[in-house]
Amino acid sequence: MIRFENVGLRYGMGPEVLRDINFHLLPGSFHFLTGPSGAGKTTLLRLLFMALRPSRGLTYLFGQNPTDQTTGERAELRRRIGVVFQDFRLLDHLTTWQNVALPLRVTGRDEADYKDDVTELLKWVGLGDRMHAFPAILSGGEKQRAAIARAVIGKPELLLADEPTGNVDPQMANRLLRLFVELNKLGTSIVIATHDQLLMEQFKKPQLVLHDGHLTIRG
Amino acid sequence: MSVIETVRASWVMGALRSVTPRSLVRAHNAIVPHDSVSGRSLTVVIAIMCFLACLTAGAVHLVSQSANAWTQDLASEITVQINPARDVDMEKQVTLIALFLAKQPGVTRVSPLSVDQSARLLEPWLGQNSEIASLPVPRLIAIEIDRAALPDLEGLRVALEETFSMAKLDDHRRWQAEIRTVTRSLALGGITVLVLVAAATIATIISATRSAMASNREIIEVLHLVGAKDQFIASEFERHFLVVGIRAGLMGAGAAALVFTLLPLVLHLLGQGGLAAAEFKRLLGDAILDPLGYFVLFLVVVVVAALSMLTSRYGVYAILKTYS
Repeated sequence: MIRFENVGLRYGMGPEVLRDINFHLLPGSFHFLTGPSGAGKTTLLRLLFMALRPSRGLTYLFGQNPTDQTTGERAELRRRIGVVFQDFRLLDHLTTWQNVALPLRVTGRDEADYKDDVTELLKWVGLGDRMHAFPAILSGGEKQRAAIARAVIGKPELLLADEPTGNVDPQMANRLLRLFVELNKLGTSIVIATHDQLLMEQFKKPQLVLHDGHLTIRG
Repeated sequence: MSVIETVRASWVMGALRSVTPRSLVRAHNAIVPHDSVSGRSLTVVIAIMCFLACLTAGAVHLVSQSANAWTQDLASEITVQINPARDVDMEKQVTLIALFLAKQPGVTRVSPLSVDQSARLLEPWLGQNSEIASLPVPRLIAIEIDRAALPDLEGLRVALEETFSMAKLDDHRRWQAEIRTVTRSLALGGITVLVLVAAATIATIISATRSAMASNREIIEVLHLVGAKDQFIASEFERHFLVVGIRAGLMGAGAAALVFTLLPLVLHLLGQGGLAAAEFKRLLGDAILDPLGYFVLFLVVVVVAALSMLTSRYGVYAILKTYS
């Protein structure tokens, strides 16, 4: 489903931050992406959701090379990917409900079609009573859950999460990870960037380990 | 609230929804905040542009209306001028020529101008002077012609000038041509002003689009990342610019309509005396904008709104291209 071949990335004329990255993610796979700070985890995630283009090498998402595609085709590909950002990236002028519904709204679907789904998901992540609140008054953990709900509302084929449990207590972290596992069982491939060793040991999934711009696969 | 009030309120809301695009009704949850796109200054600038465009379009319409009336009058009339000569009884000549003209086919009315009437025509140049009547002033005969069955003007001219050597026929063609030239020049000037106003509006919208895109860069990135296509993002911006265009257009056109409504009154007040006012009145007639004129103002609003929307759309596309 996702294939990277000899991918390298540099910012401008700087040194390569990712070097000779090779991996292949199968449909329905579950991976943790780990490594020390500054190893390039976020950069690799940005390559995966097409916010960056590789400086060299080939990337294939769902069998297609994004660099050959038009912006419209890349948008279609992005709809098959859910992303949880480390800094949440919720829109401050929209309510929690509206933020979570955004991926469905941009597809042009009628609000009546997805109204109940959004409400149900928000209740499931524990934001049932914060649906009409604006992000500015949400706590870090609530923002995190809203960001996760936004990433999964479109039932993506691939879910990318950058430190999705960084701002929640261990109990909520477990609950959110169980949501990812349930999604994975339904066929969604998951890549979670995390430092949380306990979480990785608890869920025992293969790890993509980035170190000094190089990638190795464990497990 | 009574049952009737409830039904009425729901009917009003339903009717509003049916005439208002759904996307505009749902402005409260707009993805791109309205305030981040349209500052008050943008609305004011576009309103001023629309006001100038409406004034120009309305004035050109008034002048062309007035010119049409002139050419209509000129085309329905011809004039015979009888030059004075010594030892000739001018009154008798005028009568003879009038009788001759009245017999010609296509002539519906012959009105010889008296010496006093001819003298009054010279007043703008010579002033009120009782001595004018004693001058050898050419005499005029106004002739109304049948527009449905026009006379053979060339044949009439030859016959008249052969029979009466002092008479000359003026079919007003030269005046009509001059009026047409003036009207076309004014229309050309008006179009130039409209093009300049449109260019200034486009430049303003482009600049406002750039600034709106810059201040909403993060929203655009999030929209891209959740799978929004460029069309969707452009539509989010263009909707705001359409609203600004309509609002500012209506403000500008409303102010221009007010000016045109008050113009006859202003001319009337100025017309109490003053040559400039008289000339102005001659140029614009009664200066009353007809329904077609108000329709022209409405068209200006439509064009301004469309210009705002389309310019912002292509501006957003161009900027998004640079992002990708």
